Amino acid sequence: MMDWLHRIFGRRADEIHEEIESHLDMCAELNASAGMPPREARTRARRQFGNAALVEEDDRPIHALQWIATIGQDIRYALRCFARSPVFTLAAVLTIALGIGASTAVFSVVDRILFRALPYPDAGRLVSVGMLAPAADTNEFLPVSAYLRFRQLQTPFSSMASFGFTSDCDLTEPNPVRLRCTQVDAAFLTTFGIRPLAGRNFTPAEDVPNGTPNGQNVALLTYGFWMGRFAGDRGIVGKTIPVDGQPTTVIGVLPRDFELFNLSPTDLLIPEALLPNQTGRVVRAFARLNPGVSVEQARAAMQPLFEKERQSVWPAFRQGLTLVVRPLRDRQIWTVRTASWTLAIAVMLVLFLACANVANLLLARAAGRRRELAVRQALGASRSRLVRQTLTESLLLAVAGAVVGCSLASALLRFFIAIAPNGITRLDQASLDGRVLLFAVAVSVAAGLLFGLAPALHTDTNVRATGLVRRGLITAQIAGSLVLLTGAGLLLRTLWSLERVPLGMNTEHVVAAHFVLSRSYTPARLNMFFDELESRLTRMPGAASTAISSSLPPYGGISSIPYSALNVEGRPRLPEGAGGGVGWRIVTPGYFAALGIPILRGRAFNQQDRAPAVAAIVLGDALAHRLFPNEDPIGKHMFQSKDGEWHTVVGVAGDVRNNGLTGPQALEFYLALNHSFGNAAHVVVRSPLDPQGVATMIRAQIAALDSSLPVDVQTFRERVGKLTGEPRFNAFLLTGFAAVGLILSAIGIYGVIGFLVSQRAREIGVRMALGATPSSVTRLFLWDAARWTGAGVLLGLAGSLAATRLLATLLFAVRGNDPWSFLAAAAILSAVALSAAWLPSRRAARIDPVRTLREE
Amino acid sequence: MPDSLQGTLDLLILKTLQHEANHGFGITLHIQSVSQGLVTVEEGSLYPALHRLERARLVTAKWQTTSNGRRARVYSLSAAGRKRLAEAEESWSALAKGVGRILRFA
Repeated sequence: MMDWLHRIFGRRADEIHEEIESHLDMCAELNASAGMPPREARTRARRQFGNAALVEEDDRPIHALQWIATIGQDIRYALRCFARSPVFTLAAVLTIALGIGASTAVFSVVDRILFRALPYPDAGRLVSVGMLAPAADTNEFLPVSAYLRFRQLQTPFSSMASFGFTSDCDLTEPNPVRLRCTQVDAAFLTTFGIRPLAGRNFTPAEDVPNGTPNGQNVALLTYGFWMGRFAGDRGIVGKTIPVDGQPTTVIGVLPRDFELFNLSPTDLLIPEALLPNQTGRVVRAFARLNPGVSVEQARAAMQPLFEKERQSVWPAFRQGLTLVVRPLRDRQIWTVRTASWTLAIAVMLVLFLACANVANLLLARAAGRRRELAVRQALGASRSRLVRQTLTESLLLAVAGAVVGCSLASALLRFFIAIAPNGITRLDQASLDGRVLLFAVAVSVAAGLLFGLAPALHTDTNVRATGLVRRGLITAQIAGSLVLLTGAGLLLRTLWSLERVPLGMNTEHVVAAHFVLSRSYTPARLNMFFDELESRLTRMPGAASTAISSSLPPYGGISSIPYSALNVEGRPRLPEGAGGGVGWRIVTPGYFAALGIPILRGRAFNQQDRAPAVAAIVLGDALAHRLFPNEDPIGKHMFQSKDGEWHTVVGVAGDVRNNGLTGPQALEFYLALNHSFGNAAHVVVRSPLDPQGVATMIRAQIAALDSSLPVDVQTFRERVGKLTGEPRFNAFLLTGFAAVGLILSAIGIYGVIGFLVSQRAREIGVRMALGATPSSVTRLFLWDAARWTGAGVLLGLAGSLAATRLLATLLFAVRGNDPWSFLAAAAILSAVALSAAWLPSRRAARIDPVRTLREE
Repeated sequence: MPDSLQGTLDLLILKTLQHEANHGFGITLHIQSVSQGLVTVEEGSLYPALHRLERARLVTAKWQTTSNGRRARVYSLSAAGRKRLAEAEESWSALAKGVGRILRFA
C-alpha cells in the first residue's frame, strides 16, 4: 500500500526535484560562462534560487493525491504511537468495540423492523384498510360484504386485495404432511406486486366457491415448500396434488423472497372464494395507493363508504368502531415499534458513553504529549496538520474498534436471537449484511470524530480548558447512564409486576397439549377420537386430573359472543349489541380441577351434565355478579339455545385471566357439551410426576389414536412464561446496557479524578507542607467529583423524564415518572460514581509532600 | 485586488511563453533581460506559479533536450492560455491606465 502510494506521489515529487536541479544546472552554467570557477558557480546558483526544498514542499500539499500520501505518514506515525502505549490502545479499542458491537447488533435487529423496505415493489404505497373494533381485535378487519363493496366503489387505490386466514391443511398423499394453507383472493399477488417464479396467479374465475368452472381446485406453492417437497421441479406446475382429499392443480410457484404481510409461515396459497353475502366472515384487506394519493387522503376518501358499511358489523363490536387506513409497515411492526426505538436509543447512549470514555483517555494522553506536540509545532508543523494527526489517530482507533466490534456484534446478535422470545418481528432475519456493516463503518467514523474532536481542538494544550472539557464529558456520561438506569429500573419493575399478576388458577404441575385433526376426519370419526382420548386420559397413570377444552387461558383463542345473547328466563331480552362481548369455552368435567380454578358456588360439571337432554352452564364470577347482582345464580335458567332450550346454572367458578396479563379482564362462562370440539382441542393434565414424563405420556396417548398427528406439548408454566417473554427480553437488554453504561461512567470518573490528582500533585504537596490533612485533600477531590456528578444526575433526571415518556406503552403497573425508580437510579449512580472517585482521591492523600517538592 | 500580484506574475509568464516555448530558467532570464533588470522573478514563486498554470491547463509542459544538450522541462502556451493572456493583457492595461490617471491627478 505504502509502496504503491509512493510510486504515484514519488514520481510527482521526483519530477519537481529534477526540474529544480535542471534549473540550477543551467544557472551554474551561465555563472561559469561568466568566468566563475565551477564550484562557486554552483553554490551561487543555489543561493540565487533560495530554498529549493521549500519550493518542493510548497508545491506538494496543493496536489490532491499528495494529501493522501501525508495521510499515509500520519497513519504510520499513529501506529508507532499506539505500539508505544499498548495498554492505552487496548483500553481504547475495547471500549469503542463495545460501543460499536452493541450498536451494530441492535441496529441489525431494528433495521429490519423500522427501516428496511418490505420485500414488495414500491412497498411504501401499500396500505392496510379496515375497521378497527377495540372490543374484537387489535388489527383492522372488514366483513366480506363491506370488502366487496369497498373494492367496487373505492377511488383512492389502484387495486384492493383480501386475505382470509392461514389454517392447517393436509397433503393427503400416501405419506401425509400437515401444511399451512393461506386463503387470498385473485388480486392479492398483483396488489402486492408479487410475480410467480413459475406458472401464474389465480384468475378471478378460479376465485369462486367450489373450485373452477370445471370443478378443479387450484393452489400456488411457496418456494420453501416447493424446494422441500418437490426439489424445485418446475414440472410440478400443471400437475395435481391432493389437498384435504381434494385434487388440486398446482398453477404456480411463488418467488423465494415471498412473505405474507403478517410474516406467518405458509406452504400453499389457495383461492379465498368470497361470496357477496357471507355473514360473519371477515377478511384482512390491503390496497395499493394511487400515485400521488397520501394515506390521509385515502382515509378521507374511504370515510363515506365506511359510514355506510358500519351497519354490517356485528352490533356487539359497533361501539367505538373506526376506519383504519395505515401503511403496511405500521401494521406489521406496531407492537414492537416502541421496543425497537427504546433499544436503538439505549444502544446509542451506550455508544456515546463509550465515545466519551475514549475521548477522556485521549485527552489524558494529549496532556502527556504536550511536549511532543510543542516540539512538532516549533519545528514548523501547522496547527491544521496537528489536528489532522490527532483525528487520524482517533479514526484509526475507531476502525480498529469497528473490526473488533463487528465480531462482537455477530456474537451479540446470536445471543439476542438465542434469548429472544418467539414472535419478535423479523428477528430471525437479522444478520450482519452489507447494510449493517455500512452502518457500523458510519458509526465508527462518527464515533472517531466525536471522541477525536475534543482532543484535536485542544492541541493548544490549555490545561485548564482540557480539565473543563473532561469534567463536562463526565457530567454528560453521568446523565446518559442515569437515563439508561431509570429506563432499566422501570422495565424491571414492570416485569416484576407482570410476574405477580394473579392468573386465577394454579399453574404448577400442569402440562397442556394442543392438536388439530385432519379435515378429512368424518364427524363420526371425530366423536370416536374424542371419546377414546377422554377415556385414555382418565386411565393415565399418575394423573391427578385431566381435561379436554376448546381453548385455554391465559391467552389466545377463546370464543366470544355478545353479552346481549345471554338472556335470562323471565327477563326481557337485552337490546342487540348491548354490553360488549363474553368469552366462553367447552370443557370436560375435569377442567376446573386440572387447572386449579376454584368453584365459588354450586359445583363443577359432572358426567350427567353432558347427556344430550341436559344443558348445564358454569359462570365466571364476574359474569355471575353482572347477570345476578343480588341473587343466587345457582339453578337459574338462562341462555336459550336456538331450539328454545334453557341452560341451568350449576356453578360459579373463579375468574381467570384470558386476555394476557395486561389486557382487560373479560367475562366468561363454560359449557360441558359432548362431541362439540370440532377438530381442534387442548388437553390438560395435572400430575405430580416429572413434566417431561407427563408430556411423553400425553404424546403416546394421542399417537395411539392418530400416529401422524403433530402435537404441541408444553408445561403450563412455559405457556404463561411466554407472556412475559417480551418484557423480560426488553428489561434484560436495557439492564445490560445500563450496567455497561454504569461501568463506563465509573471508569471515566476514575480516570478523570486520577488525572486531576497527578496534574495537581505539586499543589497538593504544597498544601500538605502547609498543614493540610490527608482527609481534607481527599475531600477536595471528592467534592470536585461530587459537583460534576451532581450536575450529571440533575441533567440525567431531566433526560429520563423525557425519555421514559417513550417507554410508556411498555410499562405495566408503574408510571413513567415513578419517583422510586428515579431515586434508586440516582442513588446507585451517585454511589458508584463517588466510589470510583474515592480511589484516586485516596491516592492524593497519600502524596508525600517532600518527594513532590523535591521533584521540581 | 487580492490577486493582482499573483496575476502579474502569471501575466508575465504567459506573455513570455507567447513567442516561444521555454523552460523555467529561460523564463527568468527573458523577464530579467526584457525588463532590463527592473523586474526579477523569484524562483521560489516561479515554479509554484508554473505548476499552478499547468494544473489550470493554461500551459503544457514536457521534458525536452535544450540546444546545449541539457534536459529541461519546457513550457508552452495552450489555447486556453492564449485566451487568458489576451484577457489579462487587456485588464492589465486598463488597470495601468487607471492607476496612471490617479497618480497624475495628484
